[in-house]
Amino acid sequence: MTASAAKIARRRASDIVFKMFCVTVTVVALAALAAILWSLLSQGIGGLDLEIFTKSTPAPGSKGGLANAIVGSIQMCVMAMILALAIGILAGTWLAEYGGRSAYASVVRFLNDVLLSAPSILVGLFVYEILVAPFHTFSGFAGSVALAMLAVPVITRTTEDVLSLQAATLREAGVALGAPLSFVIRTILWRSASSGLLTGALLAFARISGETAPLLFTALNNQFFSLDLRHPTANLPVVIFNFALSAYDDWRRLAWAGALLIAATVLTVTVVARIVAKEPSRS
Amino acid sequence: MSDITIPPAAPPARRTAPRGAAVAKVFEGLCFSAATCLLVALGGLLVSLAIGGWPAIAKFGFGFLTTATWNPVTDVYGAAGAIIGTVVTAGVALAISLPIAAGVAFFLTELCPAPLRRPIGTAVELLAGIPSIVYGMWGLFVFAPAFSKYIQLPMMMAAKPGSLLEKLTTGVPNGSGILSASIILAIMILPFMAATLRELLMTVPPGVRESAYGLGATTAEVVTSVTLPYVRTGAIGAVMLGLGRALGETMAVTFIIGNSHGFPQSIFDSGSTIASTIANEFTEASTPMHTAALIALGLVLFVITFVVLGLARLLLRNQEARA
Amino acid sequence: MNTVNPAETFETSIAEIDKAQVKVDMRNLDFFYGQTRALKGVSIPFARNKVTALIGPSGCGKSTLLRTLNRMYALYPGQKATGEIMLDGENVLGAGVDLARLRARVGMVFQKPTPFPMTIYDNVAFGVRLYETLAKPEMDVRVEEALTRAALWDEVKDKLRSPGLGLSGGQQQRLCVARCVAVRPEVLLLDEPTSALDPISSAKLEDTVIQLKADHTIVIVTHNLGQAARVSDYTGFMYLGELVEFGATHDVFTRPATSRTSDYITGRFG
Repeated sequence: MTASAAKIARRRASDIVFKMFCVTVTVVALAALAAILWSLLSQGIGGLDLEIFTKSTPAPGSKGGLANAIVGSIQMCVMAMILALAIGILAGTWLAEYGGRSAYASVVRFLNDVLLSAPSILVGLFVYEILVAPFHTFSGFAGSVALAMLAVPVITRTTEDVLSLQAATLREAGVALGAPLSFVIRTILWRSASSGLLTGALLAFARISGETAPLLFTALNNQFFSLDLRHPTANLPVVIFNFALSAYDDWRRLAWAGALLIAATVLTVTVVARIVAKEPSRS
Repeated sequence: MSDITIPPAAPPARRTAPRGAAVAKVFEGLCFSAATCLLVALGGLLVSLAIGGWPAIAKFGFGFLTTATWNPVTDVYGAAGAIIGTVVTAGVALAISLPIAAGVAFFLTELCPAPLRRPIGTAVELLAGIPSIVYGMWGLFVFAPAFSKYIQLPMMMAAKPGSLLEKLTTGVPNGSGILSASIILAIMILPFMAATLRELLMTVPPGVRESAYGLGATTAEVVTSVTLPYVRTGAIGAVMLGLGRALGETMAVTFIIGNSHGFPQSIFDSGSTIASTIANEFTEASTPMHTAALIALGLVLFVITFVVLGLARLLLRNQEARA
Repeated sequence: MNTVNPAETFETSIAEIDKAQVKVDMRNLDFFYGQTRALKGVSIPFARNKVTALIGPSGCGKSTLLRTLNRMYALYPGQKATGEIMLDGENVLGAGVDLARLRARVGMVFQKPTPFPMTIYDNVAFGVRLYETLAKPEMDVRVEEALTRAALWDEVKDKLRSPGLGLSGGQQQRLCVARCVAVRPEVLLLDEPTSALDPISSAKLEDTVIQLKADHTIVIVTHNLGQAARVSDYTGFMYLGELVEFGATHDVFTRPATSRTSDYITGRFG
């Protein structure tokens, strides 16, 4: 009798320890993350004012804003998304509709997943080698291509997943009327999967808008305002990187403001993506 | 039924080729090319790193991996310090973050009261998207001073001269260093690991868990004897995925690791990772050999992460296949 | 007691139909999922402008058989059919057959309603637009005609521009029927079309099927013996991939020629 009572007590004790561990650890984790968000907010808000959006990055010691960096980032992200959507949606469609279980498709899927989590700085190195070194100039184009390379795996993956979820009978119903499969894909399946495709695009955008490393040696940075992507282009992440590591208070304040802007953008886009994903499905 | 007289159906109209037939092959070809683009991109990545890094590999040979000298002045480069730094920071970060992420995941799936489940779960997933540069900045401006004041200094003061603790804690107590970088890295991969582990735990069929509870098992027992074995393959995969990310992380680490080459002598000593070295030195590389050495570093990182991520993916897909 | 002895050859009974009345003549059809043979030497005539029902227990191959008639299985690698299916003298399983054109002649309605993500009008017009370029007034007439024949026109004539997915289940299925008949196919394949519908919608659809046979040759797969009896002129009973009995519906249901058929019809198994 005592033996089993002791055993029960032991089991209960270890259960309590386990539960306390989980709760404590969750509280600690949430607290740490809350602390980071708090710092971001308090430091960033201090630097946020209208000038951020109207003036370009200043020389040390003078006042300025982040306008050129914001515009440059938007330019590059948009261009990257256009490139990435074109390639990613087609690649995901191929994997879901044509490649199926073939060996080649498995290889493509595998490499896609590897690229999804690959170090972004290596992507930056690669694009440097092919688009910067041969032309002897850093450029916003190169930056866009680097960002696109990071966005494509996200879009490919979500496209393939969402197309595979479409009912097989939807595909068959289109084909049964005499339509070629490619026509069915374009007019029926893509439309039916549209909210999933949009979600993938938004998630990819959220991901690339915060990336710094790949831009370090592709777009570099530009102190002045310019819309010309053929040359070094100002962008928020690199500006933040440079300003934060500097010794100037002005610059540091701008760095925090920029970090707040980026984080706010990423969070907003992610939230919108989740809302779109939950759109009542069409059946 | 309607009152309209149904007209007799006309004989089938003349059939031409259906709309979309002409572009069918073109469309399929485009899709195939896009998929092949991925292959080409990754292959190109590997090839360009190999080509760019070749001068350094040719000059230093295998010693590149084992020597820690990194001297742009004499143009002699060895990757050992950066490799050690990369592996150590990622390893320590994982060791710190894994138990916490697991605890959060278990909390969310087993212990969390229902109304809190979605908010906290959503919060964790959203935090996983915060760009790493934010963590880097926080690490440099908020964490480092606090770390220096409350942990580093006291520890260094408490270490008696000649003791093991003193050896472990030598260095400048400015808050940066290998340990600081590992901690920041741990915090950074934490939301991602927690979200991934939680998704994994949610694949366990409710029936399996409920039967275990129904037999009188405690939460701890259900988790250790039923849930974990069920997701074991996937869990290892998730861990390796986190490791892969930590190995390649640049921004969270560069701000706070101190960026000195050579083997770190203590936990507070500065160090460097492959990513931080490349990030710091690439645009100002002094000589072509310097550039080549940096690219060769990138190649090393690529190989390491490719292996880790490849394994992770295999394990995760195996888990999915079981489900 | 109904134990199946696989070594037993089935007694079969296949009625003959006057050749002139046959629209689709299936001869010796074998079907393979990879290495597994799912249909064994099935020969069955489908009479012109009549409804032929295919009945049998789950897994007997009736849906598989249906899907050979428009070569739907060609979408999936590893599935193969051998034998002949003569549609007006042309072998549907032949090598040079244009699948798209075949499917425009042989339409199919699926078990679960599958409206396309577009308006009701566009749903019905989809198939028509594939092969014909019609001016709007002509297309309007086609759409109305198709919806009328599917017994849906009255219910949707005021909301042709609203999404097809907004209709009820029974209406969606009739929309799929309208979509099919809009291209004026010669043959209509119906794969358990009422299994996902409530009784009222099912009854409406059955009425529609009977009306449609005036202009189409119809093959219907059904689990519902009552439906087969109500709707069809001929019935084929299948078991384990073979055609066990085929004949006029009235004969098959009231005087089944084989014991297995009568066991199934009387509910002894299935």
